[in-house]
Amino acid sequence: MKVNVERSLLWTATGAFVLFAIGAVLTTIVPPLVSKDMQVSQYPLHEYTEQELRGIEIYKREGCVYCHTQQIRHLESDQKRYGWRLVDAAVSDSWEYVNDKDNFLGTKRTGPDLARVGGKYSSEWHWAHFKDPRNMGEKFPNRKGIYERASIMPSFAYLSDEEIKDLTAYIQTLGRNKNWRVDENGVPLNDYEK
Amino acid sequence: MKQDTAAKTMVIASCLYFGLALTMGLLTALKFIVPTVGEIEYLSMPRVRMLHTNINLFGWLLQADMGILFWILPRILHTRLFSEKLGVVTGILYNLTVIGGFAAIILGHVKNVEYGEIPPPFDYLIAVCWVLFLINVVGTVATRRVKYLYVSVWYALGSVIWTTFVYLTGNMFSQLPMVSGVNEANLIWFYVHNAVGLIFTPLGVAIAYYLIPKQLDTPIYSHKLSMVGFWVISFVYVWTGAHHMLHGPQPYWLQTVAIIFSWSLIIPVMAVITNFFGTFATAPRGLRMKGPIPKLLMMGTVYYIFTCLQGPFQAIREVSEIVSKTDWVVGHAHMALFGAFSYYAMAGVYYVAPKMAGRPLYSEKLGDLQFWIMTLASIPFFAVLWISGVVQGYAWLNPANSFVETLEAIRHAHIMRFSTGGLIFLAYFLFLYNVMQTFFGKYGETAEKETAVAE
Ligand code: HEC
Repeated sequence: MKVNVERSLLWTATGAFVLFAIGAVLTTIVPPLVSKDMQVSQYPLHEYTEQELRGIEIYKREGCVYCHTQQIRHLESDQKRYGWRLVDAAVSDSWEYVNDKDNFLGTKRTGPDLARVGGKYSSEWHWAHFKDPRNMGEKFPNRKGIYERASIMPSFAYLSDEEIKDLTAYIQTLGRNKNWRVDENGVPLNDYEK
Repeated sequence: MKQDTAAKTMVIASCLYFGLALTMGLLTALKFIVPTVGEIEYLSMPRVRMLHTNINLFGWLLQADMGILFWILPRILHTRLFSEKLGVVTGILYNLTVIGGFAAIILGHVKNVEYGEIPPPFDYLIAVCWVLFLINVVGTVATRRVKYLYVSVWYALGSVIWTTFVYLTGNMFSQLPMVSGVNEANLIWFYVHNAVGLIFTPLGVAIAYYLIPKQLDTPIYSHKLSMVGFWVISFVYVWTGAHHMLHGPQPYWLQTVAIIFSWSLIIPVMAVITNFFGTFATAPRGLRMKGPIPKLLMMGTVYYIFTCLQGPFQAIREVSEIVSKTDWVVGHAHMALFGAFSYYAMAGVYYVAPKMAGRPLYSEKLGDLQFWIMTLASIPFFAVLWISGVVQGYAWLNPANSFVETLEAIRHAHIMRFSTGGLIFLAYFLFLYNVMQTFFGKYGETAEKETAVAE
């Protein structure tokens, strides 16, 4: 039997589907089976509290992910830039995200990466920053000058006080599944801000 | 029911959404210059951005492509649309659905899926509409009165089949309770990437494959190339989602697979493009650039080459290190969805609107003017985003530059983006006016209506 694909609806449709399906299966279903840490972690992970889960919902609703990524890539520039107080940020591994039902890896850095921001600032700092990133008040004088001109982070002053607290609670957990803040000898610094 | 009612409904609605989407784009661009503009919850930058992408994708581009195909397919297949009633129902349900989806986004009910923020139940309804569209496409092909399936039909068939799975993966499977973290990111990237590559690319290419030979009155340059283009893209496109996550926490092997397949994409793209340019080159001189339609098709094809060469280039690890996560990517996405596929869709609207109205286009001159303003504005629009991306990408390499300093360095680019975007926005109104006049305006000339088969 000679098949003429160009005269056959069935053959064209089946052919297009089968060719597509090979790549589709191999790039969606197979990866978590082969690289298991995409979906399970062999290390203990932080379980989010009720408050932090509410914070995650706000992060999602307010679309922070459109300006902020949450991934320290395998690049020295990322590790140096997003580390703080003299410790370089540790590279982000797959397993660290396993408890994140919603992933905020992100695609665009209009603002800095937030993967290791948990503990970098005090919750008071975040409060002032969410209220007005361009004018954080007298308590944070080093935010004058260039921040007033160049920060294009929106003000989230329309969030209720409760919402800002929930959001901040979530932000403070970021990056802490790995205790990456250690000195040269591997001793934990435990210098996270509250 | 009257022939082409479904096509007409969707084409007209899509043109209106296009304006709304551009408004949102312009507002986002403005917020990058003056972040305090419109400081209320419903107009915060991320919401406006989500509206911009979703209205463009679902209100304008997908709907325009569906409407145009409702008109084109019966012509190619010498038959009527399988069911005009079903088509109209699809169009109405689809519009109610997307309006509901956009309202949900404004109110902050969103899914955490880029390009798929429209939440349940509206995303499920979009999938339902898509299946209704699929039934109509397959039904029309099944009841055709010609033996052979023309290239546009292959692409339309491929697209309705692929899209069903791509949409379900990104919007439904990724939301299943056992999917999380990097695994979810991978499924979502599968969707985002293939939404462009296996939804909008085949729909746009299907339209261009019909319009270019028709408008230029010249047969397609090479049938072999058509086949190479179609069958290779069916196989290679779907593998490339992970190239958006180079250097990230995804498995290294998956990234490498995506890079290799990104490079193989050059084959089908070059086949399609050689075919389009070949047809242009063998067309009678007088027709090549007459009026807005061939111009839009030609420029759309030029943008198509650039996007598709940029793609593999960005998928090189060393290049990705600089441009990824910067404005460069925004420029790239705009060139694909605005430069290439919106140009094809606008050419399609200019082509089918007069046919449906039964008279020539209201004004070819105005169409030309629109084309020139849009094109001359969009080139710097894209370019300035790339420049900004490269500047910031290199600035990030040096940890001594604070983040806000690198942001200040690209302020001029954000201003340029807003002003060139404003010109694109102005040109849109010329397009809208022209199309609306053609449908509803009062001007004399009548030409014969092109019906697929006698009423
Ligand atoms: C329009 C883009 C944009 C959006 C949306 C946005 N940000 Fe920002 N964000 C920035 C920019 C730019 C900076 C850097 C300047 C500054 O610190 O104000 C920043 C800085 C930050 C910082 C300080 C990071 C550091 O290491 O110094 C945090 C924390 C932050 N944003 C959290 C958030 C959260 C949470 C949201 C969502 C509620 C959000 N941002 C939404 C642009 C944005």
